[in-house]
Amino acid sequence: MKATIGIEVHVELKSMAKVFSMSKNDFKDSTNTNINVIDLAYPGTLPRLNKGVIESALKAALALNCKINKVMHFDRKNYFYPDLPKGYQITEQDTPIGYDGYIQISNKKIEIERIHIEEDTCKSIHTTDTLLNFNRAGVPLIEIVTKPCMKNADEAREYLEKLRETLLYLGVSDVKMEEGSMRCDINISVSNTDTLGTKCEVKNLNSISNAYAAINYEINRQISELEKGNVIKEQTRRYDEASGKTILMRYKEVGNDYRYFPEPDIPYVILDDDYILSIKNNLPILSDELRLEYKKLSINDNAINTIISNRDIGNFLQSVIKNCNPVIAANLLTGDILSYLNKNIIKIKDTKLNTENFIKLVNLLDSNKISNKQAKELIKIILENDDDIDDLVIKLNMIQISDDNFIIDLIDEVLKENEDSIKDYKEGHDRALKYLMGQVMKKSGGKINPQRANEILLSRLSKI
Amino acid sequence: MYLDLDIKDINKLLKMKKIKPIDLVNEAFDKIEKSNLNCFITLNKEEAIKKAIELEDKEVDNLLFGLPIAIKDNIVTKNLRTTAASHMLEDFIPIYDATVIKKINDANMIIIGKTNMDEFAMGSTSETSYFGPVLNPIDNSKVAGGSSSGSAACVAAGLTRFSLASDTGGSIRQPSSFCGVVGLKPTYGRVSRFGLISFASSLDQIGPITKTVLENALLLNVISGYDVNDLTSSKEIVKDYTSLIGKDISGLKIAVPNYYMSDVVSISVKNKILSIIDILKSKGAKVDYIDIPYLEYAIPLYQIIALAEASSNLARYDGVRYGLKVDDYKDINDLYKKTRTLGFGDEVKRRIMIGTYILSGENAKNYYYKALKVRKSLTDAFKDVFLKYDLIIGPTNTDVAYNFNVLSNDALKTFYDDLLTIPVNMAGLPALSIKIGENEFNLPIGMHIIGSYFCEDKIYQLASMIEKIREDVK
Repeated sequence: MKATIGIEVHVELKSMAKVFSMSKNDFKDSTNTNINVIDLAYPGTLPRLNKGVIESALKAALALNCKINKVMHFDRKNYFYPDLPKGYQITEQDTPIGYDGYIQISNKKIEIERIHIEEDTCKSIHTTDTLLNFNRAGVPLIEIVTKPCMKNADEAREYLEKLRETLLYLGVSDVKMEEGSMRCDINISVSNTDTLGTKCEVKNLNSISNAYAAINYEINRQISELEKGNVIKEQTRRYDEASGKTILMRYKEVGNDYRYFPEPDIPYVILDDDYILSIKNNLPILSDELRLEYKKLSINDNAINTIISNRDIGNFLQSVIKNCNPVIAANLLTGDILSYLNKNIIKIKDTKLNTENFIKLVNLLDSNKISNKQAKELIKIILENDDDIDDLVIKLNMIQISDDNFIIDLIDEVLKENEDSIKDYKEGHDRALKYLMGQVMKKSGGKINPQRANEILLSRLSKI
Repeated sequence: MYLDLDIKDINKLLKMKKIKPIDLVNEAFDKIEKSNLNCFITLNKEEAIKKAIELEDKEVDNLLFGLPIAIKDNIVTKNLRTTAASHMLEDFIPIYDATVIKKINDANMIIIGKTNMDEFAMGSTSETSYFGPVLNPIDNSKVAGGSSSGSAACVAAGLTRFSLASDTGGSIRQPSSFCGVVGLKPTYGRVSRFGLISFASSLDQIGPITKTVLENALLLNVISGYDVNDLTSSKEIVKDYTSLIGKDISGLKIAVPNYYMSDVVSISVKNKILSIIDILKSKGAKVDYIDIPYLEYAIPLYQIIALAEASSNLARYDGVRYGLKVDDYKDINDLYKKTRTLGFGDEVKRRIMIGTYILSGENAKNYYYKALKVRKSLTDAFKDVFLKYDLIIGPTNTDVAYNFNVLSNDALKTFYDDLLTIPVNMAGLPALSIKIGENEFNLPIGMHIIGSYFCEDKIYQLASMIEKIREDVK
């Protein structure tokens, strides 16, 4: 038996205003504060159109390698529901802004059938009564629909992760599944022939891991139903996290009729070639491209994965990468700095770290002027204070001397003062070397590079 | 009676402080209170008086200053009940002003009340109004036309010189014709629809009804213009629409569609039009009879497009957020069903059902999308005419005002009332109705003047000539 999976994802776009009104787009503010007469569908109101939303959707469509509908119109999807104030949802049924795109995952291209703009509904809160929060009414959404082209939960998970990462890098959405700014519905069918089986939809999955678990459960469930000789009816299900099972919500009724027709209150939107090109040329660097860039710079894979999945760290790295050794910078950021941030549950902007200090720190390490141990000490300070790192190094007496001539002079002085120890060393006593090294470091006040000093000491001893 | 004077004279008196706005307002309310025509659903007496007194300290800055105006009750007015003549909105007090209302206020006009109409502008006689029908001021046994019945009748009766109305298939022009006043449906997009309770979004347009052509143009000047709140409003510059009034019409090229002079038009109406055509020719206008293709499809187009849009536009009246809500319901579907059953009248329900049917399943393709194509062809046909002609004329209606109850129980007949007006809405063109005379029973006959896009000034040029001819005949 083969499984086939298609995914529909709704993503809330970040924008100042809602898509068809000037109300603030912030669902999380106090209930029913970000609303106006348009959101409430008062008699006589007409939609406005937020151009920024079209730009964000266009960015997403281009990043997902879609063809663009250059002449697009909105449509009304008509149905009665309390969370739908106008009695219709404004969407793009006929002319989705993007179509025929794809996302590359490791072993295949996941085909995107369409991506379109629409408005979110109110949030219903069911208590003894149904309460409505209109803050969400009119929040801009894009819906991204794949073809039924995935074969298993692993592909689906990789697709969702890649989609999430791409939208995050575009900066068009928070894509937080747990907060509902990315929501996904999954269609699953199984069949032992080339014809697709009857699909079951699992709605409103709130995390990628739940999506993964739901798909696996659902594939097994359908296979066992078919093996029992049962017929699968088209249905909508939900995933129950506690039991790890999908649960039947309702069987699909024949032909839900949304009476789509072109929205007469919004004229056609023309996306001309120059505009599309300018958006395309100004797309931010996306994760795939960054991966390649970091690989070329010899940053190791673990660090790259950490950087890509953590935009905070990634953005900081981007801001310094041209001015210092990228490998050292990446290691510092994904090591001590990230663990500091995670421990305190904060972001880089919440610390005192600035790019200038960070670049100096990397350069000091790069030129061996300080040790790794000293660097660790300094990081802690510059995360919490904005003291200049040069001053700190002097104040803490940290500069390592790597100047060979200086080190040679110092070693020769020590050797002159410790002829006994040279003799011991020549006779094979290892502790004599340790003692001599100790004397060298002591004389330098700990300021010379110990590794280099050790090398020079050995070479001087061999010449005696 | 000041309101019977020419507005230029009223303006002089106001400027000279011989009269005050409050005198005009009091006169209007005296007349309204004595009138039995049922023109108004809600009066704005207290606020109107307050505004009139406020205006006493202001400079008389334009010809419309201090003049009372009536507003069709499907245009929302902040803090003033707006019902669309429906039980559904019987107690609805809007919390915002329509864009045209802001403009009216900025022009220092005084809103005296909200006029009666067909429910949600669906009808041609105001017989569908929840508040009862409007009587024709010329003959009370006749309908005033509709749906802007009160707006036309109150101007004809001299209760006010100005009103705002809306026109989806003829709702300004038909009652203006039946009541013998000047009513213009502007080019689609000329006037913002923000705050107009939608019937059919792609056809609805707000326009002025007035006693004279000059007043009509002055009011159009005030209400026109692009509005960020209405994406379908036009950025085309607002002309001074009075600029061609009284100008010589010689050389004007006028088309008369044969369809508009067919046998469905009554003899008395046709004869009156023919006599006007002769006069226009004698004034140097060039008049040709032409054929315009697709005109005969206008009514089915209207039934499909207007009703489909209406079925969607009226979905918001669900008892959840505002308007009527029944108290006794089992669940949400029961609330919808009971509220809408009680709140809407028969004609509105009929149109919602037809519109819903038209958009259902395969019907959308077979009817709605096909209709959009024919509409495009009809529009192109009109555009072709305006490549060669300045204006199109004909009768506004096939006949004069008729008796009450003629249309009841014949849903289709109401649409045929708009046979000659609907094509204009389909093409989005501007058109005006002006009285050209009376039939043998003294009922007004209206002439229809259709212009090219945003050429309302030319419509007024011809209309002002007809006004002059009318006076000369007197």
